Amino acid sequence: MKLPAAPSRTFLAGMAAALLCLLAWPNVRHGLETSMTLHMLVQYPLLALAGYLLAAALPHRWTARLHLWNAHGISGLFAAALMLAILMIPRVLDLALVDGRIEILKYLALLACGAAIRLSWRPAGLLVQGFFLGNVLPMMAVVGNLYETSPLRVCNAYLLDDQARLGQMLVWMAAAIAAAWFAWLVRTLMGRDAAGMTANDEATKPATH
Amino acid sequence: MLRTALLSAMLALAAYAAAAWLTHDFQVWTAEGARRLEVALQPVSSPAVEVDGPGIGPQALPQYLADGQSVTLVDFVYTRCQTVCLAMGSSFQQLQRALQERGGQGGPVRLLSISFDGGHDTPGVLQAYAARLSADPVLWRFVRVPDPRGTQRLLADFQVVVVPDGRGDFEHNAALLVVDQKGRLVRIFDYAEQQLALDYARHLAGAAAPSP
Repeated sequence: MKLPAAPSRTFLAGMAAALLCLLAWPNVRHGLETSMTLHMLVQYPLLALAGYLLAAALPHRWTARLHLWNAHGISGLFAAALMLAILMIPRVLDLALVDGRIEILKYLALLACGAAIRLSWRPAGLLVQGFFLGNVLPMMAVVGNLYETSPLRVCNAYLLDDQARLGQMLVWMAAAIAAAWFAWLVRTLMGRDAAGMTANDEATKPATH
Repeated sequence: MLRTALLSAMLALAAYAAAAWLTHDFQVWTAEGARRLEVALQPVSSPAVEVDGPGIGPQALPQYLADGQSVTLVDFVYTRCQTVCLAMGSSFQQLQRALQERGGQGGPVRLLSISFDGGHDTPGVLQAYAARLSADPVLWRFVRVPDPRGTQRLLADFQVVVVPDGRGDFEHNAALLVVDQKGRLVRIFDYAEQQLALDYARHLAGAAAPSP
């Protein structure tokens, strides 16, 4: 499952910078923050994507050094799970709207989150990936369910129907990611079985980076 | 592997610290919860914005609130409102009835509705609104902030967030605000907790009454 090494680092860095500039543009930022659904399901993932691209553009020397602190992608995925948990606390959404410092921290955390996932996903292997998703996805579904069923607004700045729609979409997204990963898992395992003993030995080794 | 474990432990500590700060030691999860807790811990002085209303000439809000003897229950309204404010209206009507029945028992408590729609809710409009809710001017007054910047300042200081709902109405974090004799916002109650808010206001008014 190796990605083709087609896009050059400069291109990836340029893409990341362009995306980040676009998201930091005041009009775009305010536009995406007018609705709770856009805020969490469009702005959050796009910021993480910018971080992901940024990490992909890092020179090999740097990533090698980072991997000393990130065996099997454990610290990276752990950090991503922690940051996502904190960023889903409703108070963060309200604070980010009124406090510029929190907004900057939110942007940095989401960039770091995307970068951590990029740097850690492949080294993690199936076990750590499964553990990461097993934590993050149920959390997402529970938060989604809470948003969907709460009779009270959890954010002062957003409307109740917006919150319910976001909740519903969070639950569906968690389910979709779980299904996609499971399908990919089954495909990978079947591929390994088919490749036979020698390939099996290869696969049990930690992935090379 | 050791370095990874070390980094993970540090990350866990940092996340714990961040989450503890954000949730006031895991007590509140929403901005509204944090607002109520912060006000209870640290009273908020009412900002010196000019208000006017039926029977209340232009004056600074603290001047009206800090009369030295009465505790004021404040809510935020706009007269065009058809949803939450109607509930608030009836909640204030019930509070007015309770105040009328038990008189000044436990110290003077009064009601004040502040409009955040100062452009529309002129003293005349507020007068008509008060009449519709059969407000007794001895107990229940209405004011607006004529200057939009003043309104913004008042809403920011009291952390009232007003959101247009796209259907011509406003959604806002409606609540009962208890303002003490010095004009400080000391506690915020949900409007379902009106009895609690009233008891607290009476207690506050009664506790300070014997001293002067």
